[in-house]
Amino acid sequence: MELALRLPLARFTLEVEARFTSASIAVLGRSGSGKTSLLEVLAGLRRGATGRVVVDGRVLLDTGARVDVPPEARRMGYVPQDALLFPHLTAGQNIRFGVRAGRPSRVDEAVHLLELEPLLHRYPVTLSGGEKQRVALARALATDPALLLLDEPLAALDIALKERVLPYLLRVRDEARVPLLYVTHQLGEARALAREALVLDGGTVKAVGPADTVLGTVARGLLTGEPEENILEGTLEHPPAGGTRLRVTEALSLWVPDAPELPHGTRAAYAVPAEDILLSTGPLTGVSARNVLEGTVAKLEEAGAGECATHVDVAGVRWVVRLTHAAVRELSIAPGQRVYLAVKSSACRRLLSGSAAT
Amino acid sequence: MDEGLTGLVLFTVAVAALSTALILVPGVAAAYALARWKGPGRGVVETLLALPLVLPPTAVGLVLLELLARDSVLGRLLDTLGVEVVFTPKAVVLASAVMAFPLLVRSARAGFEEVDPRLVAVARTLGDTRTRAFFRVTLPLAWRGVLTGALLAFSRALGEFGATVLVAGNIPGSTQTLSLAIFQRTQLGQDAEALRLAGVSVVLAFGAMYVTEVVTRRRGARGLA
Repeated sequence: MELALRLPLARFTLEVEARFTSASIAVLGRSGSGKTSLLEVLAGLRRGATGRVVVDGRVLLDTGARVDVPPEARRMGYVPQDALLFPHLTAGQNIRFGVRAGRPSRVDEAVHLLELEPLLHRYPVTLSGGEKQRVALARALATDPALLLLDEPLAALDIALKERVLPYLLRVRDEARVPLLYVTHQLGEARALAREALVLDGGTVKAVGPADTVLGTVARGLLTGEPEENILEGTLEHPPAGGTRLRVTEALSLWVPDAPELPHGTRAAYAVPAEDILLSTGPLTGVSARNVLEGTVAKLEEAGAGECATHVDVAGVRWVVRLTHAAVRELSIAPGQRVYLAVKSSACRRLLSGSAAT
Repeated sequence: MDEGLTGLVLFTVAVAALSTALILVPGVAAAYALARWKGPGRGVVETLLALPLVLPPTAVGLVLLELLARDSVLGRLLDTLGVEVVFTPKAVVLASAVMAFPLLVRSARAGFEEVDPRLVAVARTLGDTRTRAFFRVTLPLAWRGVLTGALLAFSRALGEFGATVLVAGNIPGSTQTLSLAIFQRTQLGQDAEALRLAGVSVVLAFGAMYVTEVVTRRRGARGLA
């Protein structure tokens, strides 16, 4: 995917230049940073943009060559924040809305994947927020889109509902294998879903590149009130002695809050705030924290507010720990140094689990 | 019901139905344009369209008469085509249509304004052209407003008098509708006959308005409100 565009807006001009190679892209930024406008340009719903947009090898916009493919011919699966289901149609009719004879359709797959069979005959007014989002997602997916455009699909949902809808998004990404562009202002969601990220601020690109790099440092400063978090994905294990462990890699696993309701082998993602991790230069014994991990300092980064983001590699997994400048000086922490991390199991917050509970 | 009365009622209902049919497409188009167009000139156009609601109907009739006169551009065109309008049943339909037009537009416009334009945007990303999206999303969501407008226009046309009497005259068996007949009977001193016709008018108007009420009130079924 290739973007090089300009769009004058009321308060600023949206200018985006980026090239993506992966099939899952997060677009981050505060509200009013131009995220939704960017989506609308991609969907062909916004007039006045100049430049070039190429998705999946197809030129959708090239003002120099007078190409501007109308929205109905772009094959963009647009999922707005508030679902926007057609109120006069049932869920099933909504899902089949974009299906045309002679063109590929993925209705059955979408209905199955998002577990919508029981809802097909219901009208949107009778559906919950999470159900509406799943129907909107299926409606977009059913047209076999070249790219799914998701505009904060979880923003209107409360935390419990988010946990229910997120696994479906992961399924769309991994099982339906539809490329997706995900607009959000939540660092955790972006991390859980995206391989590449674009950060917008006041209409200009603040950072673009692999999600790990971009979301680790640049995004944090721009998203007020968003704590830096370490996102860990793995499978759950229940040791015979009791408790729940998250196995991230062969060499790395950690205790998480006991979740006996999730069966052994469930895929899950957890968030650990960077402020909740203790760092020590010597071996840690006799601490109450249940997880003590040994790693190597990879780099130190300025994080603002007198703090420093310390990147630590633990068995091949990158962790970010927040330390004050004073602590870094006193412990004389430098790249290459061996350190120990103490993580309380209660600091591990479950973001989502793979067994899509309904 | 005697033969003369049956003919009168049928003619009146047919005129109202034809007038409504005549303005349905241009009225819905105007309503949609007014609901979506946010640019300059909107206020002027809206006011112009509303004028027949408040002008004396006889003034509207006079303007129509002038427009259709033999020495006007339109009149000459119609003359060469061999079409006669003034003082024919066509003039009755035309006068009722013009008087009913603003009612249709106002109600249909309110219906269109209730449709979220973003729903249309979604329909377009799902492969619908502008036209297709209008018929699959906008119209099905605004149909109650359109139907209410059409019923109001029909009801208005049933009772039209002032504009009609000027362009169509009051010719029994040719251009006379119920309301014109009531006037004629009172002029002739046939008060009992006039009262009888008024009673028939009440029944017709009640029927039309009752259907309008029922349609309007059912708004909200299936959560469309």
